[in-house]
Amino acid sequence: MKKELILRNPLLQLGFETEDILPAGGFGAVLAHAGVGKTALLVQLALNGMLRNRNVLHISLNDPVNKVNLWYSELFHHLAGSYEGAQISRLWESVLPHRFIMTFRVESFTVPKLKERLNDLTEQGIFSPAIMIIDGLHFDESLLADLNDLKAMAAGTGMHAWFTVHTHRHESPGTDGLPPSFSAVAGLFDLVLELKPEHADVHIKLRRGGESTTAGVALLLDPSTMLIKDPI
Amino acid sequence: MKRYKVPCIAFINKCDRSGADPSRVIAQLHSKLGHNALAMQLPIGLETNFQGIVDLLTMKAVYFEGENGEQVRIDEIPADLLASARDKRNAMIDSVSLFSDALTEAILEEKPVSDELIIDAVRRGTLARKLTPVFMGSAYKNKGVQPLLDAVTRYLPCPADVENTALDRDHEETPVVLPSDPSLPIVALAFKLEDGAYGQLTYVRVYQGTLAKGEVIVNTRTGKKTKVGRVVRMHADQMEDIEAASAGYIGALFGIECASGDTFVSPGINLSMISMFVPKPVISLAIFPKDNKSQINMSKALNRFTKEDPTFHTHVDDETNETIIEGMGELHLEIYVERMKREYGTDVDTGKPRVAYRETITQRADFNYTHKKQSGGSGQYGRVAGYMEPITEGEEDFIFDNQVRGGSIPTQYIQACEKGFQQCMAKGPKMEFPITGVKVVINDGASHAVDSSDMAFQAAARGAFREGYAKAKPVIHEPIMKVVVETPTEFQGAVMGLLNQRRGMIVGAQDEGVMTVVEAQVPLAEMFGFSTVLRSSTQGKAQFTMEFALYRQVPQSIAEKIAEDVALRKKSAA
Repeated sequence: MKKELILRNPLLQLGFETEDILPAGGFGAVLAHAGVGKTALLVQLALNGMLRNRNVLHISLNDPVNKVNLWYSELFHHLAGSYEGAQISRLWESVLPHRFIMTFRVESFTVPKLKERLNDLTEQGIFSPAIMIIDGLHFDESLLADLNDLKAMAAGTGMHAWFTVHTHRHESPGTDGLPPSFSAVAGLFDLVLELKPEHADVHIKLRRGGESTTAGVALLLDPSTMLIKDPI
Repeated sequence: MKRYKVPCIAFINKCDRSGADPSRVIAQLHSKLGHNALAMQLPIGLETNFQGIVDLLTMKAVYFEGENGEQVRIDEIPADLLASARDKRNAMIDSVSLFSDALTEAILEEKPVSDELIIDAVRRGTLARKLTPVFMGSAYKNKGVQPLLDAVTRYLPCPADVENTALDRDHEETPVVLPSDPSLPIVALAFKLEDGAYGQLTYVRVYQGTLAKGEVIVNTRTGKKTKVGRVVRMHADQMEDIEAASAGYIGALFGIECASGDTFVSPGINLSMISMFVPKPVISLAIFPKDNKSQINMSKALNRFTKEDPTFHTHVDDETNETIIEGMGELHLEIYVERMKREYGTDVDTGKPRVAYRETITQRADFNYTHKKQSGGSGQYGRVAGYMEPITEGEEDFIFDNQVRGGSIPTQYIQACEKGFQQCMAKGPKMEFPITGVKVVINDGASHAVDSSDMAFQAAARGAFREGYAKAKPVIHEPIMKVVVETPTEFQGAVMGLLNQRRGMIVGAQDEGVMTVVEAQVPLAEMFGFSTVLRSSTQGKAQFTMEFALYRQVPQSIAEKIAEDVALRKKSAA
């Protein structure tokens, strides 16, 4: 069951062959308007990491711990829905220790504070993340130095990070197709995905980076379950 | 407070004692507790010179005279405090204007600001839990108490301001909002029982309708109808007879048989104020009365406590003859032992707390057991075959499935087989913990025309259970508690370390300004004495809550230790 669920890695379906497309210190971003499914996609990436016994640190600047927990629980149970109840519960219990949720208030989140918290965890041997998800960070030029700092720290600890980037309808994209507030820091990102709602589906489009082998194949997010649709 | 969304006002007491510094306390309310504290008063003098307060709302000085401070004298503000009082009042109005458009408008248009406008804005901020008005005085000397009571009526919510919900038992406990309307059918919660000279006094909070003398009410839990006899209003230890208690009021009833947490409703509705789900106890403690008098009082106390609290159980262990009390946590049981001493004068010694472990199986296993005994007289014969497997769906502890075809086990003995299997569920063959989550299927067997009997098939079923159980990879499950620690941010690393040392799995850490809330799942067996350790590691600034979450399999190394402990206990009992 575990292996089958691992094979449903959203990135593999995007056409990448390696399990972790991002190198140590690598940054990935998922761009979308509010409510399209950024968190859902990142939680699926996180769940995939957890199933491969990789430790995931989920940092949320919007939601409390319980709500983040609910995201994971809902998506995991959707993902494993075809298996029997006890088997799902056992697997869920076994992957949970690979996840740590940290929430901050947007206004009080700083990279030095995050580093301090991370040190608390790693120095006491409580949790050493391999994947970091940062959900809800507002991007602009002022973050450049902090993000550089974070990237260096991630590279040092062999970790990679995924971010959600909230795009606004009033903000027209720049020449690179990225929102101007994100463009200022985009150089730090190895991979940029964009979620675009079209008709009844949400398309996942590769905006930058990666070596997609099946570029051009439409990858869709099912709005009813927020899971990636199986390729037909 | 936060969990139940209770609006707060603060009172800084002991302003007449040395070291009193209300402004420091207000700063601490901001920095340590994260409250938006706002002074509504200024002290007139402090420590031994504390005379009264300046009310920033009315801009008057209030003095408390007479032996018990009962004479309130209102005067002009002393000249030396006037400037500071004006500044503080302006700052206060500025802060509360956030909660009232009318007040903001009045300030912008430089109109006079009325007391009502300020009171309304402070009330709005307080009800929204965005403001904590601060009052001060010396409660012992009755200084500042009268304005505090005025503030309670002015700023705190009346029952109609609070949304209360009940659970609809006819619709899978869906929450239903209860309007505080005295004309609707009654919904009232019995929240406290007291054993008085005239029998049981039941305190009730009426959420909807009017609880009047002569009304018929139904206890939702038991379905029992009762006629309300006497309704009283309590004033500390005095009681006053009243005709009725309507929505929003607290009253007390005499002669009502009920347990704490029961809901009373008008006939025809089936609402409950709290969930009817009662979790099974997760911890037990042996108690021993020190003398004969204590023995008698102890049974009285236990009888009362089990009535008051559905999660508190008690029984006598068959093997050791010890009285065992069971509950939902170490503190839960400690409180009852303390109450036994305080309220019933019962001196009891306690044993070591014991965690309620459980056993279950992890794989399917076949059994085929023949019980045969021939020792003079009529013999015993019964063969039972089938398999057992873990229950994968639902919450049932034991399922018995009879798939015997062709009468290999005669129908009249099937019930004996079920009984035999069920007997084994109470105590596992290995560790003697209760067994849960086992489905037993019987599909074959044999009987003897003369020697088969109910007893023989019960014994055969027990043998079959033992045979199958040994092959079904039994494991031990332990109760896991959801532990939520609220700690100042500087100690969050230490708190996580403590939880981690206790085999805890940290679910997350939530930043709440000056405080951090760490949520973890920790085995109950590791939580004994946690409060002391937490206090000493956080300078007493952290607090925690703990509630039962789930049962989870015990790691192998711990299972071995438990087995050793069980063996030792058996040996010492023998």
